Amino acid sequence: MFDLINMNPMLVMILEVLLICVKVVVVSLILFMLPLPLTYMERKVAGHIQVRLGPFRTGPHGILQPFADMIKLMFKEDIVPAKADKWLFKIAPVIAMVPVFAVYATVPFGESITIPYINKEITMYISDMNVGILYVLAIAGISVYGIILGGWASNSKYALFGGLRSSAQMISYELALSFACVGVVMLSNSLSLVDIVKSQSNWRWNILYQPVGFFIFLIAGIAEINRIPFDMPEDEGTLGAGYHAEYSAMRFAFFMLTEYVAMVTISTLAVLLFFGGWDGPGFLPGIVWFVIKVVAFIYLFMWARFTYPRYRFDQLMTIGWKILLPLSLLNILITGLVII
Amino acid sequence: MKNNNSNINLKNLFKKVFFVDLVQGLIVTFGYTFSKTITLRYPDEEKWIPYKRFRGLHTLNRNKEGKELCVGCELCAKSCPTNCIKVVPAQDKTGKGIADRVAARWEINLLRCMFCGFCEDACPTEALKLGREYELASLSMQGQLRTKEELLAPQEIPVNFEGGVIVKARLGRDEDEVSVKPDLSVQKRWW
Repeated sequence: MFDLINMNPMLVMILEVLLICVKVVVVSLILFMLPLPLTYMERKVAGHIQVRLGPFRTGPHGILQPFADMIKLMFKEDIVPAKADKWLFKIAPVIAMVPVFAVYATVPFGESITIPYINKEITMYISDMNVGILYVLAIAGISVYGIILGGWASNSKYALFGGLRSSAQMISYELALSFACVGVVMLSNSLSLVDIVKSQSNWRWNILYQPVGFFIFLIAGIAEINRIPFDMPEDEGTLGAGYHAEYSAMRFAFFMLTEYVAMVTISTLAVLLFFGGWDGPGFLPGIVWFVIKVVAFIYLFMWARFTYPRYRFDQLMTIGWKILLPLSLLNILITGLVII
Repeated sequence: MKNNNSNINLKNLFKKVFFVDLVQGLIVTFGYTFSKTITLRYPDEEKWIPYKRFRGLHTLNRNKEGKELCVGCELCAKSCPTNCIKVVPAQDKTGKGIADRVAARWEINLLRCMFCGFCEDACPTEALKLGREYELASLSMQGQLRTKEELLAPQEIPVNFEGGVIVKARLGRDEDEVSVKPDLSVQKRWW
């Protein structure tokens, strides 16, 4: 057993940097692998809701289906339309993908754990920014550029409409989403996600104090990640496939990855802001509770997807500007009055 | 009257504010999530056994002593709307049929057959019956011609089996044939 404090400070610093690198790699790998279980889950949920079985033939209960899909996507031809803006077309999926990964730099996953024998405390986040929530909302918002540029560069009217709708939707709902978060920030007196979670410990979850805020957050979140009933940008009925209509192979896979990770981001944020993060009954470690809550939210999104029809675009705008925005402002006002 | 109206409005308001309809929708789909599936895992694990009235592949029957019931009367061929049955009658003294007239050849072209069952109705000795075999795909046109010998062989599903059930089955594949072998002992109905 050796003590880290007595070691060479230079060495300690190198170890710290290494630790951060390891964390970044682990988080990115997990995020890259996420679409595999999520597509499987989505298809199974869809199947069972529609009284089908979902994928069943690849492996036991179709468990290998995501891998089959992955192999298929890898070997498909990467088509770039002749009149597309080639450079933008190629860069757009990456622009969409990078921000949703960058968000996880500040997302905490659980309480810090102490590694036995070397007494080193390892925090379950990459960095604890003092403006964490602001950073998450800002960076997640950048992701829509990828969608807009992808739609624009495709040189296809459907893709362009998908991109335009996505931008309009993002502008309308980002406001309500952020305002819904303000109530939580006022309650916990901090913008740091770690502090927000800590302020909710011992079952003082924000959902109990901010039900309206949570409700606005949930609806705006669904709109933000373009899922039914607000999946205007990829509305199959009117736009073919929306902004990724012209994409194929791995570039399409990047868009899919973006969407799934964005869904996880919104679920994670909902858990962190309103459901006490890793707070839960003591018999399981905090991170397990965290994962259970996030998966429950993902299930809710999938469940809603196969239950509701799609809203019309003008209805979408009406909900965003005329209902959610005033409601969220009112929520902030009331929260402020109660706190005083 | 007025009171009643405001009551309804309050109810509607409550419904709107708490999204009663949306929650009801979610409950409905949640119920279906755990309901029994209607998927028939056909070639791999399960197979549908039709009812007795089903009109599938033709079968030529024998009587209890094992004698061919077909007397080569050609009524089936005459009644056939698509002229897909060809019967060549012959005299036979060996006693393999129930009379001294038997069909020397009895052929059917399944490509032309529309499974109307007129031949079955026309048959005076109940020798011809439309059976319950429905996996009739083949790799060549020749595979769609069935001769008397093939049709005289008993079909996989016994005549007295009630049918109208899903049974366990196994997909068998070899070089020239793909077949689904049913196991009639394990039956199930999803409804």
